Amino acid sequence: MAARTLRSVFTLRSVAAASSAGSLLCKVSNNVQPLKQNSFIYNKFVTGIWSSRKSFHHSSSRPTSESAMAPVGLPPADLVEQYIKQSKVIIFSKSFCPFCNQVKALFNKLGVKFTALELDELENGDAIQEALFARTGLKTVPNTFINGTHVGGCDDTLNRHEAGQLLPLLHVKTHDYEYDLVVIGGGSGGLAASKEAAALGAKVAVLDFVQPTPLGTQWGLGGTCVNVGCIPKKLMHQAALLAHGLQDSRAYGWQTPESIEHSWGTLVEGVQNHIGSLNWGYRVQLRDKNVEYVNAYTTFVDPHTLRTVDRRGKERTITSDKILVAVGGRPRYPDLPGARELCITSDDLFSLSHPPGKTLLVGASYIALECAGFLAALGFDVTVMVRSIFLRGFDQQMAEKVADYMERQGVKFIRGAVPTLFEQVEEGTPGLVRVTATSDEQGTFSDEYNTVVLAIGRDPCTKDMGLNNAGVTLAKSGKIIVNDEEQSSAPNVYAIGDVIEAGLELTPVAIQAGRLLARRLYGGATKKMDYQNVATTVFTPLEYGCCGLSEEDAITKYGAEDVEIYHNGFWPLEFTVAHRPESDCYAKLICVKSQNELVVGFHIVGPNAGEITQGFAIALQLGATKQNFDDLVGIHPTCAEVFTTMTVTKRSGKDASASGC
Amino acid sequence: MAQKFEVSGLDEYKEKLESLSSSGKTIIAMFSGGKDPATGQSWCPDCVVAQPVVDKAVSQASEDFIYVYCSVGGRDFWKDKNCVFRTDPSLKLKSVPTLIKVGTPQRLEEAQCANPKLVEMLFED
Ligand SMILES: Cc1cc2nc3c(=O)[nH]c(=O)nc-3n(C[C@H](O)[C@H](O)[C@H](O)COP(=O)(O)OP(=O)(O)OC[C@H]3O[C@@H](n4cnc5c(N)ncnc54)[C@H](O)[C@@H]3O)c2cc1C
Repeated sequence: MAARTLRSVFTLRSVAAASSAGSLLCKVSNNVQPLKQNSFIYNKFVTGIWSSRKSFHHSSSRPTSESAMAPVGLPPADLVEQYIKQSKVIIFSKSFCPFCNQVKALFNKLGVKFTALELDELENGDAIQEALFARTGLKTVPNTFINGTHVGGCDDTLNRHEAGQLLPLLHVKTHDYEYDLVVIGGGSGGLAASKEAAALGAKVAVLDFVQPTPLGTQWGLGGTCVNVGCIPKKLMHQAALLAHGLQDSRAYGWQTPESIEHSWGTLVEGVQNHIGSLNWGYRVQLRDKNVEYVNAYTTFVDPHTLRTVDRRGKERTITSDKILVAVGGRPRYPDLPGARELCITSDDLFSLSHPPGKTLLVGASYIALECAGFLAALGFDVTVMVRSIFLRGFDQQMAEKVADYMERQGVKFIRGAVPTLFEQVEEGTPGLVRVTATSDEQGTFSDEYNTVVLAIGRDPCTKDMGLNNAGVTLAKSGKIIVNDEEQSSAPNVYAIGDVIEAGLELTPVAIQAGRLLARRLYGGATKKMDYQNVATTVFTPLEYGCCGLSEEDAITKYGAEDVEIYHNGFWPLEFTVAHRPESDCYAKLICVKSQNELVVGFHIVGPNAGEITQGFAIALQLGATKQNFDDLVGIHPTCAEVFTTMTVTKRSGKDASASGC
Repeated sequence: MAQKFEVSGLDEYKEKLESLSSSGKTIIAMFSGGKDPATGQSWCPDCVVAQPVVDKAVSQASEDFIYVYCSVGGRDFWKDKNCVFRTDPSLKLKSVPTLIKVGTPQRLEEAQCANPKLVEMLFED
């Protein structure tokens, strides 16, 4: 409820800010110094509604006198021409007209910047309307023009959009390259950007190529998430949850046999079939939206020229006005004997043709833990070798909780150790690999595993791409340095997704950044990607969802004194009858005392944490305080309701363990 | 041009696939609402629109393809939720027309089958 109030306050204020600034400008307009800034206001107005306090502040800051000037005293007909020429999108409008509002709402929804000239607020409005009638035969408002092309009234504009013919008008070709935009990498970000740009009328190609793994694994269009990331991972996570469900089922009266076999082959087949249909779906979408898809490895010759090589070694040179690099990353191999020959990575695991058997995962990334989690639940003997901490970058208390739970579920952890050597003991599917490792505690030791999965990190695919030929500057990590508009040091080369320095390696982030970039490049939009308060979830058997700052980062940023942490263990109702432990699940809110207990961190370990965190993330985005969480009425009985009743602070040292209701 | 066959009903379809299995060629199957003997046209309007587009792609396809046209029968037979074409695990059809590349997840449904760009793509590689 409080969150809602909060939002409507912003809305009201934004409207007030917009309209007061608007009328201010209309006075200016009376002197026939109109436009541009009107559109500025409309855009800001909308930003004011949808995003956080930041834009509210923007809205209240008055647009100043930068407004484009049409010369004073021009005859109305010439004035109309000036207006049309000066703005990409202009709507001759009246402030009270509902049809005009419909058209404005459409452009706002599309994220396209426009100028609205409110004729009722201009002294010479009638004369302008007459001149428009003479020019277009249309007497009424709205009357829309895009890049000088007359679109027409409300129905004309809406119908034209419906038919897919509105946005292409936005784009006028100003160069001699083959394409307006070439996207290198057909993954989450690249596909989103290419489809959006094509819908906005740009001529677009996507160049995608998958280098096989050392084992020879390869896949289709769609990038990491679809083929070897989120999608297969979450499906295998589901297989693990079903295993837990089967265990619980007996307590709920199901006569489930004590021993049930799992078929790895069936799981892999189901997962891969689904992926296959997604690969095809992407090809259909690209073809349908007139994006050319080229299945070829791509390198830069110069900032506008690319060289591609396809599977058969056929080369092609492609030129483009703008180039978007969305090549993502691939798993890192350590420089150790046997690593490439004998180990696999997440790139191979989800399509492995045989059950992995006794498995070692090397690494403590979310990928290592997620894979360990589902493999253990499927009944495999699983060990994770961790050099130092779990889930670097995440809240460490939560990371330990996740690992503790996994340990209780039978996953073995070797901490403080690194592998030094991999040797083949037996060939086969699976074979047997001897892994030698060292740790401070145990010195040198070794063990044998059927499968070794390396998950020690990912490297950007920028190494052999000739990015220096284009003048693109890379960070030490090999990732591309971009500004807040995803533009690299080469002005016509952009980058999004996993390949950018200081980004977030998440699919929805790549997609959002790609869409917004396309709208800025081809839709006249100005909205930039907001990398703050992006929610995420680690899909270990007990999920960990979070949004905002970790406890460590909050303390660094605000100081320990100013950070108040509310926390609570909870025992999900569904765990009770199944006799699952009471102490597995835990939630905490991190608040800033001096800012009215603004919630800056949200963390939960428990079932369905992904689903829970997604919803609450909007509260953080809207700047919710602890009081807003307290005012929220829970849904009973759920796990998520724990966030509405948190009273114990960490500072108090009081018991925060689970209690019944 | 791809070789063409016409079958009716699931059994005939399966027999045909069986007999073609050793050909080593890629089979594209079109599932369409049965034809009215009087008009020679399918009862399903989307199928009527798609057919010429598919026929054109077939006539342009290479020898490596085989095209099987399969009638799913009359309207009432097809509309039954338990129609064998809907329940068969290898087909699981949801709509007619449906075009599939046999043995792959590649399929086009309804209006997609009338889109020449998409139909041609099914006959690529
Ligand atoms: C195991 C695993 C689980 C994951 N789980 C999740 C999750 O649950 N949720 C989530 O949000 N994210 C998850 N991710 C991360 C997510 O997959 C990535 O953030 C996302 O795919 C990044 O998209 P992208 O567009 O940057 O690049 P990618 O999707 O990696 O696509 C890049 C494409 O470019 C191609 N390419 C590379 N170089 C070239 C070249 N020179 N020429 C032509 N093509 C090239 C690549 O082959 C690839 O197809 C997971 C990742 C992994 C590995």
